[in-house]
Amino acid sequence: MKKYLSTFAGSAICGGFAFGIWPELWKTYGLMGGWLAATLIIGIMWYMNHYHGAILNPSGKIWLDQGWCIGSAGIAWGIVRFQGDITNFFYAVPTLICCLIGGALAGILVWKIRSCDCTRKIN
Amino acid sequence: MSEWLQTYNEFFGMYHAGIITSIFGAFAVTFTVLMSWSKLVKDFGPIGGFMAAALIIGTFWVVNHKLPGFGFSTGLLNDAEGLPMQFSMIHQGNRGSAPWVDMGWAIAMGFILSDVLCAPKGTRGELLKEAFPRWLVIILGGIVGGIFVGLTGYTNAAL
Repeated sequence: MKKYLSTFAGSAICGGFAFGIWPELWKTYGLMGGWLAATLIIGIMWYMNHYHGAILNPSGKIWLDQGWCIGSAGIAWGIVRFQGDITNFFYAVPTLICCLIGGALAGILVWKIRSCDCTRKIN
Repeated sequence: MSEWLQTYNEFFGMYHAGIITSIFGAFAVTFTVLMSWSKLVKDFGPIGGFMAAALIIGTFWVVNHKLPGFGFSTGLLNDAEGLPMQFSMIHQGNRGSAPWVDMGWAIAMGFILSDVLCAPKGTRGELLKEAFPRWLVIILGGIVGGIFVGLTGYTNAAL
């Protein structure tokens, strides 16, 4: 239960950080602001969520990346921030499907070319 | 061919070319993260993770998510048909006004696929079942965080 609580908190903070800070840095400093935002947000959030394990990821099990919470936060933020309603979600679906297809293709390719010893787990 | 690529697909909310670049952008960032992030951490420790965040996510953010003009407002530059121009690989649907779809989806999906396929046949269903509650919590957490940050839209702040 504690582990789920830390997963919830870690993912909420990660999603909130990504969309509270990223657009502001991009608006202020342009491309380099976005690059800086990646370093600050993803760097620190990765350190909290994955290096120190705020997000529950038992070894030998499926790796759940903080990409899930950043992705879902992006859609929730996009709807609430611009005062849309829940039906706006459907506008995002085609891009979402493209993203998931592209990611799945890369996952399959990595599985094909790797010897599959699963030693890459850091924990 | 070029005519088909330049057609704006009302149903998908993007150009046909945008569908292709979206899939390729998602593929490229996922492949790079899956191949190199863990190796950077193995070689450099936590500093390797920061390097990966800056070099991989930062650089792929530029190709996948940069927009014309300032901010997420895509209305500043329009093409010949009056539609907002998007220079990013991952297109945002509905003329650029759809809720933000991040490349995080692609990376997370890539991890799931490679891990599930890595497991021997017969154990894959069990692995997915084990991951499901964690999966639900992580997505719910993201939604809650996104909603809280999005509430700034109701404060009349000119952000």
